[in-house]
Amino acid sequence: MLAGQTRHKIHLFALFAAVFALLVILYVGRVAEIMIVAALLAYILDPVVTLFEQRGLSRAAATTLIMLLITLVVVVFWYTVIPIAIVQFKALQAGAGTTPASQALARLESQIRGFTESFGLGAVNLTEELGKLKLALVHRIPNFIIHDSPTLLIGLVMTPFVMFFLLKDARSFKKYFISLVPNRYFEFTLDLLYKMEIQLGNYLRGQFIDAVVFGLLATAVLWALDVPYFVFIGLFSGIANLIPFVGPLAGASAALVVVVLEQGDIVRGAYVALAFVVLKLVDDFVIQPLAVGKHVDLHPMVVALAILVGGHLFGVLGMLLVVPFLGFLKVVLEESIDTYRRYRFD
Amino acid sequence: MTTPWARLFGDKANHKSDDISTIDLLSRVPLFEVLNRRELAAVERILHRRQYQRGEVIFRQGERGMGMYIVQQGTVAITAEPENHELFELQDGDFFGEVALLDESPRSATAVAKTDCSVFGFFQPDLFGLIARDSRLGVKIVLRVSRFVSQRLRQANERALALSAELDALKQAVAREER
Repeated sequence: MLAGQTRHKIHLFALFAAVFALLVILYVGRVAEIMIVAALLAYILDPVVTLFEQRGLSRAAATTLIMLLITLVVVVFWYTVIPIAIVQFKALQAGAGTTPASQALARLESQIRGFTESFGLGAVNLTEELGKLKLALVHRIPNFIIHDSPTLLIGLVMTPFVMFFLLKDARSFKKYFISLVPNRYFEFTLDLLYKMEIQLGNYLRGQFIDAVVFGLLATAVLWALDVPYFVFIGLFSGIANLIPFVGPLAGASAALVVVVLEQGDIVRGAYVALAFVVLKLVDDFVIQPLAVGKHVDLHPMVVALAILVGGHLFGVLGMLLVVPFLGFLKVVLEESIDTYRRYRFD
Repeated sequence: MTTPWARLFGDKANHKSDDISTIDLLSRVPLFEVLNRRELAAVERILHRRQYQRGEVIFRQGERGMGMYIVQQGTVAITAEPENHELFELQDGDFFGEVALLDESPRSATAVAKTDCSVFGFFQPDLFGLIARDSRLGVKIVLRVSRFVSQRLRQANERALALSAELDALKQAVAREER
């Protein structure tokens, strides 16, 4: 009996050591980011591959077909949407302050200067400061592309490669991992993994659909309001919407910067702000409940702190992934406690 | 030798010898006897092979069940707590715990490895996945499981009736003795 218990403990220790070692290895460099992004994409696409399996295709054939379809979509996107976005981005980058914008800023600056000087706070050069801010913002993206391009290229090549094998062989990986679990905890682990898969998969797929729908709606609304660079800002808004609190604000801010600073149109700026408020309400009350369904129930303070920590540790990717990761941890904890109660561990 | 192309795309025709023997074992299990070889191969891919040592508990009475087990090699005893009274002894090709495939009710008995044994586990999450991928095969399996569960329920009812009749006869005999 003692030998059996010792054996179980050794097996458990070996399992945890292997997982820990894997986490350490994955944490090194950009490997973690590639694995995480590939795993998330594989989670999102898994039901689509299953759909093709239902039609009689093997898992390998279904996965290959999905990858080819994605490649086709990316190519179409590259040759249609990206050129428009690049043209609009270049215009945004090169655009100096237009006459209407300069006049609007000058009026605002003189009002603020009058206010600050009356309190002895010194002069405010709003035009200069906002111009520096705008230039800094629009130059960050090409700087990121230039300086991080080797890493970006590796990511663009490796991510689909890893994603293909995660999609094709996920069941085999899971089966192998479960085979390492000691007998006493085997059914418990199987139950826990199954529940986690359902929770996490539904959440991630829902968030992806939400981002796509929000991005399309934002693009349409900005086009209707005749906002310049609407494709670029719409795309950005869709992706940014994945980050709670910060994301919607970032999308709206980008549109406001363009309308107010480029064109000096305060009235249209107000319409843009109102449009984003309406879009956010539609997202919260219609799109999210339909797409994501049951939310990961976290306190807003916890979410805000997590975004700060995620951003500090992993940058933008960290901010995007921290909420699903927290939700994953929450599910693990809740399901572990619930499932543990149902099993009799001696 | 398996070619890189075959390894990349997981050539399903290249079963290892133990996979083929597993399929042969499954074809002899009454639950799967109506399945063809392609369907048996699909079931084999989702089975979990577990090794148990003599005296090791496979599952306990009262705990939540996730699925059934098929004995590949060895002997398994089904016992009832608290006296650990042995109800059945199962050999190669026998299966047990199939009710847990249909619902998540607590196990009605304890399964213990009477000798060192190797079993295949067939569990609810994997069955749901199979139903999602191949609904026809999944429903076929569920119907077979339901059939065996209802057969065992009928047998249990008949046994209960027989025991009840014996008990009545005993009571009448005791009453006559007392008179």
